[in-house]
Amino acid sequence: MEEALHRLSKKPGVKAWLMLDRTNGAVLKTNGQIATVRPAKSSATANGNSSSSLPTPTGGSFSTDVQTNTNNETLAAQELASLVWSFLSSAGGLIDDIDSEDELKLLRLRTKKQEFVIVPEPKYLLVVIHDTPPA
Amino acid sequence: MQQRRDEILAKKAKLAELKRQRELRATQTNAGRLAAPTSGQKNDRKREIEDMIERLVGDSRPSSIAGAMSPGRRGSRPNSVLSGGELSAAENSEYTSPTNAHPGLAVPAQPQVLTTVPLQTIFECPPSPVKETFSYSKGVQTTDDWTPPASARPRAISELDDDDLNAPTSTPSKRMSRWGRGREEELRQNIRNEIEEELKAARDLVADGVLQSSSVAASNFPARALTSEELAAVTASDEFVDFVERSTKVIERALDMGNEYDILTDYSLQAHDIEDEDEQAGNTGGKGRRRVKEIVQFYDDRWSKKRMISSLDFSPKYPELVLASYTKNPSAPHDPDGIIQVWNQHLHDRPEFLFHAQSDILAAKFSPFHPNLIIGGTYSGQVLLWDTRAKTAPVQKTPLTGSGHSHPVYSVDIVGTQNANNIISVSTDGALCVWSVDMLSQPQESLTLTTPPPNKFEDLAPTTMAFPQADPTYFLVGSEEGPIYPCHRYDRAGAKAGVDSRVSYKGHAAPVVSVDFHPARGPVDLGDLILSSSLDWSVKLWKVRAPAATSTIVESAGTAIPPLLEFVREDVVYDAKWSPVRPGVFALVDGAGSLELWDITVETEIPVAKISPTPGKGGRQLLSKSLNKVAWETTDGKRLATGGIDAVVSLFEVGPDLGGKEAVRNDEWTSVKKLVARLEAISAGVIGVA
Repeated sequence: MEEALHRLSKKPGVKAWLMLDRTNGAVLKTNGQIATVRPAKSSATANGNSSSSLPTPTGGSFSTDVQTNTNNETLAAQELASLVWSFLSSAGGLIDDIDSEDELKLLRLRTKKQEFVIVPEPKYLLVVIHDTPPA
Repeated sequence: MQQRRDEILAKKAKLAELKRQRELRATQTNAGRLAAPTSGQKNDRKREIEDMIERLVGDSRPSSIAGAMSPGRRGSRPNSVLSGGELSAAENSEYTSPTNAHPGLAVPAQPQVLTTVPLQTIFECPPSPVKETFSYSKGVQTTDDWTPPASARPRAISELDDDDLNAPTSTPSKRMSRWGRGREEELRQNIRNEIEEELKAARDLVADGVLQSSSVAASNFPARALTSEELAAVTASDEFVDFVERSTKVIERALDMGNEYDILTDYSLQAHDIEDEDEQAGNTGGKGRRRVKEIVQFYDDRWSKKRMISSLDFSPKYPELVLASYTKNPSAPHDPDGIIQVWNQHLHDRPEFLFHAQSDILAAKFSPFHPNLIIGGTYSGQVLLWDTRAKTAPVQKTPLTGSGHSHPVYSVDIVGTQNANNIISVSTDGALCVWSVDMLSQPQESLTLTTPPPNKFEDLAPTTMAFPQADPTYFLVGSEEGPIYPCHRYDRAGAKAGVDSRVSYKGHAAPVVSVDFHPARGPVDLGDLILSSSLDWSVKLWKVRAPAATSTIVESAGTAIPPLLEFVREDVVYDAKWSPVRPGVFALVDGAGSLELWDITVETEIPVAKISPTPGKGGRQLLSKSLNKVAWETTDGKRLATGGIDAVVSLFEVGPDLGGKEAVRNDEWTSVKKLVARLEAISAGVIGVA
């Protein structure tokens, strides 16, 4: 399993991936720089302890810097997870409405800058964010 | 369907019971009214009743008054109570008419008076079967689904749709009068309208629900972050591991395919960026229409390392899948000795499936009759069966002792038809076993192959076996000594089961490593042509005698038939295979690590194309270039796989003159036939002279 995940991270173009629980959206595993995809918006309010709570990691000493960074990462992951999760439920709602026997299998969300590949399984879901080939 | 019919019947029964009771009550009230002739009393009582009804009706459903006014026009709302009420209203208008006719009771709103009364008695009535058709019973059926909590919402919608669709079939229109039909149409229209309304409402509800839940999710997000123990528990579960396995596979396929072609490419933009796809790009061999191009190479760091490829086969069902069997990795004693990896052309970095065996796998192939099954033969003498729906271990294996093989099995095959096929395996001690796919615990048939009389030793060491397309009872075995022997599975006229002692194909001076029958699917029958490769640095073309013909020819035992044609190479030839679609094309791989493509309709002295796989990533050692096996993709014959000592599976695609069904011309078949006739004449002449 670790091997598969490691290989996934090493794939060219893969920026980040995260695994969520399908039922409640809890983050199970993440990898990569999620903050670069979408910086945590609520970091200022959640990070009460650090004074320079902006996502720029240049301010502050090294130790706090690291902490802010990891905090930012987890926050960014959680925020992104909730966005993905709500997107997925609305997509699921659409499919359910069209045919309740049907089931969502794969979502590829292509944007100008990157692509989200979402594999929803009954219990968990995997989101991979990768660079699209230069076009 | 039966259940539904029962429901309808029960409901009908209920209705009939209702009707009866109402009739009874109507007569009773009439009697009561007659007994109390004072109009004032009557009015009081009427007002009372009206009040009560107002209350009842107002509480339950305000619009039911309007509904009661025109019971036939209104579509029944999908709610049993209300539609029951309406139903009774429709009936009531008839039964109450005598009451209306009574002097001093002329009130226009009279019909609604009794509408709700039957509500109280509905469930008291025991069902009694009465045959009557009410189209609005459809509305009644959905009741149960509309009352339960929101979780069942989508189901209810689908059931409503079903009802709408099934409406024409569930009401026997034959029994309906024309009026009834018109009415039914009307009802159906009404129902449809209502369904639409309901759907809209449901959709709103769903949307609301989603909004709510998502906002809840967003607001509760940090609170639901799992603790590290919970995380560990989840990530350690089998379910999660399975999920990771499946989902990463899907993602990798998605990414690998995305790299091959970008579906959003805009050709009107940036024309200069498009890569020059000229013939020199990538690893190619041959020229023009006889080009060979390497598409992809498969190698897994964990499993392919330090192993050798012992066989290759394309899936007959899924042309993008190719299996490779491997021998053991001497530096990893704890890993299984033999493995099979099934590679997918669209999944580059990992195998689609991985299968294990206790011993080195020497031969493996997909079952041509079942896309999920893979058979293999091992060094220990076992014949194994894997299933792609199961895990990595074989689902069935033959025993090592007793009736099975006790020597290495270098050749396995499945022959027969879709409904009756058998696994055939041959081991180097000359034992041939026939197995049923369903039962590998003991062979169905077994046969010992021995060298025919003129030889000094009886022992025959078959290294390879080949069945013709048409006949599952006749086959050729290539031996370690060099000759190729025809064999019969059963006794037939003039020949006993086993090696046919009258004929042998002698020409190779070293062990024969492959024998391949011409796949012959064309206007000319070339099924008697075989190609053999040997460690004596040559490939030979033979024409085999038909098994039936051998019995008629009266010849002394041990007639040796020479080859028609020899292709002498510069190194040992490990494998040679006919193209599945081109009559004159075959591919061979040699110990120098090159793949050669030949077309005997064009040239019999030199290959028409030659290519070597790109050297492996890990830097090759000496002598690791050698290629062991080659396999054609059988459905359109455009792709080839090669594999060898360095455990890299390389996939090649050939140009339109070497593969692909579209460009096959009929004259290719005839020219192969002519060539064979010419060669036969020459060899006959040579023999005649000698």
